[in-house]
Amino acid sequence: MYTRTYKTAVAVPPLLWVSTFLLLAYLLLFLHSFWSVQDGQIVHHWSLSNYRTLATQPLYLEVLWRSTKIAGAVTLLSLALGYPLAYYLSFYSRRKMLLYQLVIIPLWVSYLVRAYAWKTILGSDGVLNTLLQYVHLTDAPVSALLYSPFAVILTLTHIYTPFAFLPIFAALEHIPRHLVESSSDLGASPRQTFWRVVMPLSLPGVIAGATFAFVLSLGDFLAPLLVGGSSGIMISNVVVSLFGAAYDWPLGAAVSLAMLLLVLLLLWLTESLEKRWSHA
Amino acid sequence: MHRRFLLVLLSALAGLGTFSCNRQKPKTLNLLVWEGYADPSYIRGFEAKCGCTITATYMGSSDELVAKLRGGSAANYDVISPSSDVAGMIATAGLAAPLDLARVPSYAQLSPRLTGLPLVKSNGKTYGVPFVWGPNPLLYDTTAFPRAPEHWSELWEPKLKGKVSVWDDLSTIYMAAQVLGYDKPDPSALYNLSDDQLEQVKKKLLALKPNIRKMWASGGELTNLFQNHEVVIAMGWPLMTNQLRKVNFPIGETIPQENTTGWIDHLMITAASDNKDLAHDFLEYMIQARTQKALADVTGYTPANPSAAQFMSAEQKVSLHLDDMESYQRRIYFWQNVPRRARYNEIWNEVKAAQ
Repeated sequence: MYTRTYKTAVAVPPLLWVSTFLLLAYLLLFLHSFWSVQDGQIVHHWSLSNYRTLATQPLYLEVLWRSTKIAGAVTLLSLALGYPLAYYLSFYSRRKMLLYQLVIIPLWVSYLVRAYAWKTILGSDGVLNTLLQYVHLTDAPVSALLYSPFAVILTLTHIYTPFAFLPIFAALEHIPRHLVESSSDLGASPRQTFWRVVMPLSLPGVIAGATFAFVLSLGDFLAPLLVGGSSGIMISNVVVSLFGAAYDWPLGAAVSLAMLLLVLLLLWLTESLEKRWSHA
Repeated sequence: MHRRFLLVLLSALAGLGTFSCNRQKPKTLNLLVWEGYADPSYIRGFEAKCGCTITATYMGSSDELVAKLRGGSAANYDVISPSSDVAGMIATAGLAAPLDLARVPSYAQLSPRLTGLPLVKSNGKTYGVPFVWGPNPLLYDTTAFPRAPEHWSELWEPKLKGKVSVWDDLSTIYMAAQVLGYDKPDPSALYNLSDDQLEQVKKKLLALKPNIRKMWASGGELTNLFQNHEVVIAMGWPLMTNQLRKVNFPIGETIPQENTTGWIDHLMITAASDNKDLAHDFLEYMIQARTQKALADVTGYTPANPSAAQFMSAEQKVSLHLDDMESYQRRIYFWQNVPRRARYNEIWNEVKAAQ
């Protein structure tokens, strides 16, 4: 069909792209993680000292654990919001495309703008606090709204819910409607139909959506930076400061690789889960 | 490492751009400086004189500056404004170019107390010009504090829960060390803390965390925090007091009884700069008496060129402490080189990452 030259010409640019911008970059990161900093210079002495620091200094594992908890909460909330919405859109909505677009539109707005919007809403002088005081529900601004882990979870949920919604919606759309009809013809109540037909068939979408929400929010650094305050910092902020002000690229690389490993493990896990459920 | 690739890509693109459209390329001077040092009120004057454009990037801490210079992006900047804590190291590490003082004639007018410091001199060469200095004062919302707070330790008071901001910088470590009394009898001990002392400082700062609403990383961030009533008290710069007063925000500024740390900022030319001639002209312009007066107007910092005073009102001279310079300087423990800066940074990162 296609000539050999054509095939090569098509394959080379993406391969080149992936090898320079992904493989080579990861390789450099990997190498850095075994080096160290002495007197403000990165020296190429091979050692495991960065990994030892990771394992012995509780700080890094604590922050990683905190980030995992935040990402977990974001995932659950995104699913809780995304699934009913996708289900409604796929099975009941008459204006499917309009609503679908409405979910997608926020993705076209800059991340920064959306995060800043939450600052305006949640701040001490913000929309929400002003309203709460206006209706006399509170008599002083509720400060826990902004600059707290709560604000981080809320912002991330807002930002990553569409990522959970999309694969779920796609999975629901692919469920043959005659299966649903047969289920009710055979006497199943709507509830039974949902739990025993629709839900199992949509699980691969749920897993894909949950993976997106979890992995993306685990690595997020802007939301904690902008709305996280002094107690909501996440692992990526640690990486940013290690690569930035602290100028400890080797330790930063080790933390990044630990994160990468965690994410790869998760991807492998969900991939195999997805496979099992789609063949069930 | 991504950054380096991005840089290569960007510079390749920039190269294409200049190659294709600019026959006689307009000169651009790139600054990496503290906020306030590239204000249009005086930058415009230089741009008009030299027929060049100035682009400024702001740094949020001394460590950010050093990391940028070391991390391979030094060639992106011509002029930097390191403070007395890292200026010496930048000079000796070969990151700055030696100055041709014959091209900076106003250097002779600068206060000899500043130019006499060994800080930016190495092998008989001078690597920087001191141009302004000032303290890190305590700023407070006067609606929350009818009287000025007298001690840094007041930041720890339980009633200020979630109402405090501190600088995301080693200065906060120095401040906590002052509260613990480590500056007695010798203030330079602040910059040479032992491991035990650093552990105590860390404990002290962890105790402050419930009160910290947000750590500020740029001047604009702190003025916003005050204006949005997120915080009522913070360590800041006189620049912020100036900016907040300009918008009629009720801000107070004080140096607590324990005194405070401060800095002497220097202008330096990076070793990697391609515009060293233009950069020398810029240094000269920045320390001329008129520019120094304009700088003081914007920042509230004390100019290094005493002859700037001839353009100032009596009131401004008082507010810049030109009338009682000696006693004012005694209250400021100027930043010094911190031999164990990496350890200080580790402690600071641990404080930041703790819950």
